[in-house]
Amino acid sequence: MKGRSIVPGQCKGLALVSAKPLSFLGGVDYNSGMIIEKGHDLKGKTIKEKILCFPHGHGSTVGSYVLYSLVKKGVGPKAIINQSADPVIVVGAIIADIPMIDQIDIKQIETGDEVEVDGEKGIVKVRKK
Amino acid sequence: MYLTTEEEKILNGEKGWAYEVSMKILARLGDLFKASRLIPIKSAHISGASYKTIGDAPIDFLEALVNADGKVKVSSTVNPSGFDPDYLAKRFPKEYQRKQKRIIELYKRMGVDAVLTCTPYYLQQPKPNWHLAWAESSAVVYANSVLKSWTNREGAPSALAAALIGKTPNCGVHRAENRQPSIVIKVEVNPRNEAEFGALGIYVGKTLKDEIPVFEGLNCTDDYLKQLGAGLASSGMTAMFYYQKPGARSRMETISIERKDMKNAVETLSTTQQNPDLVFIGCPHCSLKEIETVAKALKGKRVKSETELWVCTSRHVKNVAKGHVNIIEKAGGHVLCDTCAVVTWIKNLGFNTLMTNSAKTAYYAPTLNKVDVVLTPLKRCVNVACD
Repeated sequence: MKGRSIVPGQCKGLALVSAKPLSFLGGVDYNSGMIIEKGHDLKGKTIKEKILCFPHGHGSTVGSYVLYSLVKKGVGPKAIINQSADPVIVVGAIIADIPMIDQIDIKQIETGDEVEVDGEKGIVKVRKK
Repeated sequence: MYLTTEEEKILNGEKGWAYEVSMKILARLGDLFKASRLIPIKSAHISGASYKTIGDAPIDFLEALVNADGKVKVSSTVNPSGFDPDYLAKRFPKEYQRKQKRIIELYKRMGVDAVLTCTPYYLQQPKPNWHLAWAESSAVVYANSVLKSWTNREGAPSALAAALIGKTPNCGVHRAENRQPSIVIKVEVNPRNEAEFGALGIYVGKTLKDEIPVFEGLNCTDDYLKQLGAGLASSGMTAMFYYQKPGARSRMETISIERKDMKNAVETLSTTQQNPDLVFIGCPHCSLKEIETVAKALKGKRVKSETELWVCTSRHVKNVAKGHVNIIEKAGGHVLCDTCAVVTWIKNLGFNTLMTNSAKTAYYAPTLNKVDVVLTPLKRCVNVACD
């Protein structure tokens, strides 16, 4: 799939896919990378080393800093794939320096799929589980 | 987005990581929001200072910026913190105090003026047509609408990045064509007090998307407009409003606000009618005029022993308002700087019911502070707080 490059960088990993917007401030545990947002379809799952796919961010702009800390602590995602990028997630991926692509139809990806991300070219390759 | 040779160098890391990462943020956001270039700003106002609101996570990033010798390039201020050093600090655990001090210290080391307020315009009033990069939505709306300066609704990191670079992308309401109103809000009966102005803002903010409204039929002070804007920004994405005829509005869609809508807007913001244990004035932080009004209302009165009265403002305004502050404190009220009831842990202090004249606080406190709220004008706030 071809999307829009937001932050360059290449990586491979397992997908964690959500149909819901995610707020990093208050929605993701700062120490463990566990999703704790009430009513979220990924509640209880960890984003650690995953290719995190969700429609877009929501909530406080401080969420960008949370993404930075998660990645620095080694419990953050390897890359982010969004349907439509919003400033909170974009800034978070920039400062955390992880690849990010948007304008991807994330419905084509399922949790557990093996995903290869090329943030520079905006290319996502999916190998079904 | 076009970058000058100098900006390209910063982007490539020639001036160090703090500026590199800041430039990356501005350049990427500029691209996404279709800016053509960066423009110089006169000031930045940064959000993300209260340890209660932001928690531990931002400390890591702020520390990294400080370690990379990041310094702000323009006059920069920052939002309120989790407590004031005099009255509230000692009521919280040592760890909270240490973390909060650390956050403020990090901003200071970057050259940010650590006057912790949501009303930086009372310290240094920006001039019309100045470009700014402000976070804190109530200040953004006030700057654009009342002071006629130009600023987008920045987030915490983008305002900080703009402060470090001294520039912002020329997108959004930095462009004249994006400052045009598109909807008329016809207010049939003028709101009677600040609580109604704020509630009108909350009500209208919910119905607008990112349209810029013109309020028709308002008779008001700047303090009332501050409440209106704070309400609008809390429930919606609007960055500005007009309250005078900007011309050519006849073909615009019009929404009428009747007396019953206003009454309803105020009533729905209260979650209880119980007696409060905390009465809070000063969201957004009080102007000199507002402090004076509180002092006048308190004259000859005494705050009940079972209730606390907080009047929150900036250190700057408190210093200028000494006479009024004395009256408020003699009556048993507390004039607090650097903080407010929303960004501190009022629940941990044992408060369960908050009475306020601020619609913005009434909108946020039930979720952010887990307390019940009563929204009512200043006069009644003071009467209820006193014997």
